[in-house]
Amino acid sequence: MQKIFWVLWPSFVVAGIAEGAFFTLIDPQELYLFGEPVHLSRMTTYSIGFFGFWLVCAASSLLTWFLQRSASEVNKGVGAQ
Amino acid sequence: MASNPPPTPQDNNVAFVEESLYEVHKKIHPRAVSGVFATWRWALVWFTQLLYYGLCWLPWNGRQAVLFDLVERKFYIFGLVFWPQDVFFLAILLIISAYSLFLFTAVGGRLWCGYACPQTVYTEIFMWLEHKIEGDRNARLKLDAAPMSGRKLLLRAAKYGSWILLSIWTGFTLVGYFTPITTLWGSVWNFTLGSWEVFWILFYGGFTYLMAGHMREQVCKYMCPYARFQGVMFDPDTLTITYDQERGEPRGARKKGVDYKAQGKGECVDCGICVQVCPTGIDIRNGLQYECIGCAACIDACDQVMEKMDYPKGLIRYSTEHAIEANWGWKEILGHIVRPRIILYTSILAVICVAFVWGIATKATLRVDVIRDRATLAREVEGGLIENVYRLHVMNVSETSHRYSVSVTGLNGIDMIGERILEVPPAAAKAFTVQVRVPPESGKKGSNTIYFDVKSMADEKVAVHEKATFLQP
Repeated sequence: MQKIFWVLWPSFVVAGIAEGAFFTLIDPQELYLFGEPVHLSRMTTYSIGFFGFWLVCAASSLLTWFLQRSASEVNKGVGAQ
Repeated sequence: MASNPPPTPQDNNVAFVEESLYEVHKKIHPRAVSGVFATWRWALVWFTQLLYYGLCWLPWNGRQAVLFDLVERKFYIFGLVFWPQDVFFLAILLIISAYSLFLFTAVGGRLWCGYACPQTVYTEIFMWLEHKIEGDRNARLKLDAAPMSGRKLLLRAAKYGSWILLSIWTGFTLVGYFTPITTLWGSVWNFTLGSWEVFWILFYGGFTYLMAGHMREQVCKYMCPYARFQGVMFDPDTLTITYDQERGEPRGARKKGVDYKAQGKGECVDCGICVQVCPTGIDIRNGLQYECIGCAACIDACDQVMEKMDYPKGLIRYSTEHAIEANWGWKEILGHIVRPRIILYTSILAVICVAFVWGIATKATLRVDVIRDRATLAREVEGGLIENVYRLHVMNVSETSHRYSVSVTGLNGIDMIGERILEVPPAAAKAFTVQVRVPPESGKKGSNTIYFDVKSMADEKVAVHEKATFLQP
């Protein structure tokens, strides 16, 4: 449970900041998706954008958590000594 | 921690003893408390929540007074309209908030956490509901331990139901700051709420429910970044909630009126009430701990006990490290507020605040962008004149409709075709096309600087002098 929070919580905070900074500078109506202008409403783009940021940030937190495991934890599953 | 086994030779690196950093969470049932500081907290709960739940309903000039219109990309705050170009003000506002927090923390410790943080405020409201429905600490502990019964089910349903209603209202209010709230309220009853609106109401409401109802002190202990670094702002002259060890120890139970000094005891009667009222479940008598959110519930509770015992109040009180060491009174504590750190924070804050107010007061109410038409660089038109085409993007940042006159200068014989009077509604932007014509002998070959002057016809001072280039082939 705590590990889920370690991953989801910091990424949520950072995604919020990223969302604010990104959409302040860029109007969603000026975005292109696969070469086509985005036809979604601004509200939809903002919402999808937020979850996109959250997903990316969560991936980063997940990797951090994964690499943080100590040697003994990684070794635990290897063979029987 | 002290019981960790020593490293064994089998471990080829430093011995790691994996321990969970977090103990198994035990539900904390804080005892309700009344007193000076609890009253302060309730005052702030009322103040912040009247502001939050109420402000979005306030009308202003035929629109919502405070509206962050994401769809139109405009923020309205009373008479001010902010565009994405004004993000600078938002950045300054964040810096002001941060410095205010540093200043308050350096002077009075975790005042923000104890009295004004939304986590504290909503937890306080949720606990009040819990207290009203399920009773105080002892009744709740009993109810928790009791097997499921009709009564327990009813109480639980009432508690969770009231929490859910409040959470949904909180979520609705949040969305009401981004979508006009009266329209939003109307669409609730017509069942025409947009799917994203429903989603964000439930999302924010759900978080409120989870954080204030169930997570509570765990948010402060494990999730809040500020709780982790607030210690940096502390120094030995910072006011913190302090147990006066010298006066209180050795603690022990006694009867009222007994000469405790003869028994070799201090003034702490060891009733444990300070621990029972603590929302984070710590014992303040063990000294300052990072879990302490500075809510002062233990001060209120201990003062009541001291009063009953006829002892002087303030065994637990707001004090500083230096004051406790040297037995200072309030006069000396206040005398130590002025110190380099505080002077630094205050002066930086003052400078930024002045700059912010000045910036808002002198905020331009008219903005003009001149964009040269890139499709045609320059062309010859009737009468041998050379023509360049421009697009004027005129933004009226004021609250009233404006008519602007446009003129162009900078080259001999320069003239323009197209609208000379532009009308732009309040808080709106419009684009106009203008053709500028110049005799071929005017200026030099290549690019020449020209100027567009856009002036409000109602107010001479509202004017923009904008540079552009004119291409002479």
